[in-house]
Amino acid sequence: MEAVKEALQEGRPVAYFPYGEGALLLVERRRSLEAFPLGQGRRLPSLAAEFPSLDWFERALWERGLELVGHPGLRPLRRHDLPYAFREFPHLHEVPVGPVHAGIIEPGHFRFSVLGERILNLEIRLGYQHRGLLGIMPGKGPEAALLLAERAGGEPVAHALAFAEAWERALGIEAPPRAQYLRRAALELERAFGHLGHLAGLFTDIGYAYGATQVGRIRALLQGEVDRLTGHRYGRNFIRAGGVWREGRPDLEALSRYQKELDWLLPRLLKHPQVLDRMRYVGVVRRVEALALGFVGPTARASGVERDLRQDDALYPAFVPVVRQGGDVLSRAQVYAEEALQALEYALRFLHQRAEGPLAVEVEAGDGEGMARVEAGRGEVFWFVRLEEGRVVQAEGVDPSFKNWRALELAVRGEGLPDFPLCNKSFDLSYAGNDL
Amino acid sequence: MSLLRTLRIGVLARALEEILQVPSQAFGYPLLQPKGLSREAREGLVKVCPSGAFFEEEGIFSLDLARCVGCGRCALVYPEAVGEMKTLEVAVVRREDLVQRVDLAAQAFLDPGPPPPPRPELRLPTLAFREVSAGDTGLADSEIALLGNPFNDMARFGFQVVASPRHGDALLVTGPVSRNMAQALERTYQAMPEPKGVVAVGNEAIAGGVFAESPEVWAGVDRVVPVDVYVPGDPPRPGAILHGLLLLTGRVVQRLVGGVVR
Ligand code: SF4
Repeated sequence: MEAVKEALQEGRPVAYFPYGEGALLLVERRRSLEAFPLGQGRRLPSLAAEFPSLDWFERALWERGLELVGHPGLRPLRRHDLPYAFREFPHLHEVPVGPVHAGIIEPGHFRFSVLGERILNLEIRLGYQHRGLLGIMPGKGPEAALLLAERAGGEPVAHALAFAEAWERALGIEAPPRAQYLRRAALELERAFGHLGHLAGLFTDIGYAYGATQVGRIRALLQGEVDRLTGHRYGRNFIRAGGVWREGRPDLEALSRYQKELDWLLPRLLKHPQVLDRMRYVGVVRRVEALALGFVGPTARASGVERDLRQDDALYPAFVPVVRQGGDVLSRAQVYAEEALQALEYALRFLHQRAEGPLAVEVEAGDGEGMARVEAGRGEVFWFVRLEEGRVVQAEGVDPSFKNWRALELAVRGEGLPDFPLCNKSFDLSYAGNDL
Repeated sequence: MSLLRTLRIGVLARALEEILQVPSQAFGYPLLQPKGLSREAREGLVKVCPSGAFFEEEGIFSLDLARCVGCGRCALVYPEAVGEMKTLEVAVVRREDLVQRVDLAAQAFLDPGPPPPPRPELRLPTLAFREVSAGDTGLADSEIALLGNPFNDMARFGFQVVASPRHGDALLVTGPVSRNMAQALERTYQAMPEPKGVVAVGNEAIAGGVFAESPEVWAGVDRVVPVDVYVPGDPPRPGAILHGLLLLTGRVVQRLVGGVVR
């Protein structure tokens, strides 16, 4: 137990799922992964009081029928058939929002406790998107399972990649070099596409129509290149266990043109007085909070946490993560802008470098366990699979949004209610990814 | 010519015919070839499809477009048995019109008869719609949002998104309807004034898609609220959704009958 605590003190949880008699907790410390099997007889000691980063993980385990001994406040996360009580704040006005929102977004419920216009507390209740994805995984072969993994969160390429790599590791095989490059190219295009979407959304939310239209225009053109590379507007049906299905021909010249245009455009847009006025010092997440709650991806990097899984990927030699210290909406926007440019640069590099050889290796039916992590646009995507005779026995996935949702609760504290949409957009979390 | 067009629809907006086409690099929708369905091909098709879109029953071989994720592998491996439809005019008012059924003995498609016409009270020059995501991964939602971008520019057809169901003529629903969202969906529907139309956008909304077997979903919007138009796709491209809206408002005729363009 002491070893676990020590690891959590310096690191952050990556995944926590039922395993054998108890559960397996994976912790990342100093950029390496440590595994701790905990509990027995479906009873686990709760560590959430000491390590709040484990709170949602433990609630998710409890919902799945494990007993969490000593948890300070067990409430359901995804199941709506269990009773749920919101925290009450006497004398404060309550503003309930959702699950159906005013825009075209996924459903979730937000309960604001406000004093005048100021948000003193926000409680997020999710689970509306729960489709029981992990529950229908067992028994699936590689192709049907991958279809589900691609639908686990807002970033199909990242999820498919992590899932395929987990599958390959379970069987001890590796995708050929040509597929490796193509997969990474798709991943980077997805990142650029997603980040530009966040930026366009932010500009829309502050009423900066010029910025929103310009970024939206290039984003739509970029989507055409994703379509050319993968045959799908969001990169589904592209990655398979063992490699990729096809090699499309994106227009490399067009891609570098978009990159140049963005290179000119984005820094100027982010210096516009209207942008500075509305985004600076708003929705701050401090570094200590990011570390204590184990945030990942751009959310963590905009708060000064220098961590990106691509640092460990051999295909990204001497990778330098984009980091900002401010922790506010502007810092996150700056991280998105810079990462989008960086992503396009890597995508171009991978597409130029592409190797010769087969697109995939044969995947035989076999037994084994494997796990993999991929840095998606929103942060760390994790998949674990256990296979028997080439079929899933257990699959566990963690979307980055699952780790980041509470950043929004922190960011809006003390802000005005009308700034909520802006703060929400600055994280652009996946509801489905959280609710699995 | 191009100046005229630019003056009419703007610099970026694409013409409707262009929006309703599947681009050349991507696979459209599969189309069974009644004459090429040998026993071997049929058995192979059932195996090759990752999402289980092919069925065989009592001399009838069928393909459900609402189960197809559009990977294109069937047409690649069995070109004599499966072709491709490049159109995005795939919205239908009747669920059966998304299923291609081939009578194996006659080597011909079964014709389910003419589809019912769209509801006359929804014949509207403009349409305000509300969107509800009920278990969608976010991509169908994103495609609906992209209908408003300068390339597709749905506003020129009179379509606009409204924030409240009380202001809506139509409801667009995505996702397989998770159990946890069913009540909110029903109440959104009830909050809308009559006459109101419902469009199920995407395979998951039509019949659950890859989540059909999950006990946590209703596997189909029409199990919770009545549906007027079904738009297949995974997710459907903006052009297909636009076709769905045009069909709902009675401005185009349904093209797919029994899953085949007629
Ligand atoms: S294109 Fe559709 S029908 Fe054909 S194999 Fe892929 S999912 Fe199945």
